[in-house]
Amino acid sequence: MPIKFKALSYIYNKDMPYAHKALDHIDLNIRENVVTAVIGETGSGKSTLVEHLNALLLPSEGSLEILDYEIRANEKQRFLKPLRKDVGLVFQFSEYQLFEETVIKDVAFGPINFGFPPQEALKRAADALKLVGVDEDHFEVSPLELSGGQKRRVAIAGIIACDPKVIVLDEPTAGLDPQGAKEIIELFIDLNKKQGKTLIIVSHDNEMVYNYCDDTVVLSKGKLVYHGPTDELFADKEKLKEFNMLEPQIVSFRNELIDKGFRLSKEARTLDKIAEEIAKQVKR
Amino acid sequence: MNDLVFGKYIPIDSEMHKLDPRAKLIGLFLMIGAVFVPKSWWVFLAIALCLAVALLMAKIGIRMIVQSFKPMIMMMIFLLVINSLTIRTGDILFTIGSFAIYKDAIFNTLFVIVRLLLMISITTLLTATTNPLDLTLGIEWLLKPLEAIRFPAHEVAMMVSIALRFIPTIIEETMRIMNAQKSRGVDFENGRLSEKISAILSLIVPLFSVAFERAYELADAMEARGYVPGAKRTRYHVLKFRFKDYLFIFICVVILAGSIASRFYL
Repeated sequence: MPIKFKALSYIYNKDMPYAHKALDHIDLNIRENVVTAVIGETGSGKSTLVEHLNALLLPSEGSLEILDYEIRANEKQRFLKPLRKDVGLVFQFSEYQLFEETVIKDVAFGPINFGFPPQEALKRAADALKLVGVDEDHFEVSPLELSGGQKRRVAIAGIIACDPKVIVLDEPTAGLDPQGAKEIIELFIDLNKKQGKTLIIVSHDNEMVYNYCDDTVVLSKGKLVYHGPTDELFADKEKLKEFNMLEPQIVSFRNELIDKGFRLSKEARTLDKIAEEIAKQVKR
Repeated sequence: MNDLVFGKYIPIDSEMHKLDPRAKLIGLFLMIGAVFVPKSWWVFLAIALCLAVALLMAKIGIRMIVQSFKPMIMMMIFLLVINSLTIRTGDILFTIGSFAIYKDAIFNTLFVIVRLLLMISITTLLTATTNPLDLTLGIEWLLKPLEAIRFPAHEVAMMVSIALRFIPTIIEETMRIMNAQKSRGVDFENGRLSEKISAILSLIVPLFSVAFERAYELADAMEARGYVPGAKRTRYHVLKFRFKDYLFIFICVVILAGSIASRFYL
């Protein structure tokens, strides 16, 4: 079942003189089990959109269907906890949410809140930490003593350990070095491929979006302006111009290769894949 | 969080906004004096009328003033209860069961409440019409004479302006951390006491760590730009008293004088 936004609007400071419509009649069906990017300029409503997914914000108008839950405007929510367990949200600069005495306790905090027995919560925490690449000898250290990149990993493990079905990432790699950013993104892509988790990624990084995301949603001033396959968006120069977006370097490079007479498949979106396909053609 | 009204600056343009912050600060002290001296309801009414004119000039809605009273309601009830229990003079107004409520108790409480409300309105008028940075400039100027007894006026003013500057930032940070913890299943509204404590901890600990981090960064940034506490500094924005500022202070002096005089003649 897709995630359905139905004529959803959100107004900040409703009924105040300085009210501000952050989302304007969004009709959107996000596919399950795929990776969807949400892009748009600063202030376009990306964060507001994703904060609806686990009911941190409730719609001012319209409704949202996600998994088995339905969130309607002006209605009290009854199923906040199960919804928030199933839809994990990793915030921008998520390292600021760490507070427990030890890394392992912090990661187990979410699972315990969502009702896992302590033993199982600790086991989930340990598994999640190993998955994000935090060594076992760091488990009993205070999370506040770790480096920035390590903190981010611990915070992300804190969400993964809750075993959400949908994972929402708000600029998950902001402020990380390129290598660290790549590792984090590939970790989530892996979760999508192996466990079928639905991923929704808010990002400014068009290269990353092009490399990893199946679908792309473009917002502009609170309105939905594009939703469709990522490769179609980036192949459409008119649209890129209209949305004030730069063509990713890899797309330019691909186009130049095609102009030179190489045949490249749709899947060849990364340097490695492109090199592989060219190598085959050169050999023949 | 956005409902906080007390102390909030309203960035619009009005005659009150254009007054010199020092004049407004002096006016604040004079008016608070004027509110505390009188014993007659007529004087309170007169002060309230002057205040209403000032509010009109500042283009501040009465709604904002009423909202700034809200946090005081508990205190007023508390005052009323304490006064009813302790003041046993005057006529008996009515009795609850066998307990008598005296006229003086009610009137004393009303007096204190009216004084408090007037004071809050005056303070709200000041903070709503004065940009926090201008306000600290004003405070610094008022504290200047104390430098003779080695009071660090400039440093105190700097501390106050930094604190004011960071209130919105910290509120934003609080909302962000609350959202992050809600996403991890924390319920800030319901739950048993132990759950509530853990919920508060999950907010306070990150908030402190962020606040300290920001403080270090700010200190570094200030040092990088050559800030030396106590060094002689020039200002980009120089405060100047104009005719209307003198006029404003004069009006406040007249109100204070009037209210002192009322003690003798009314």
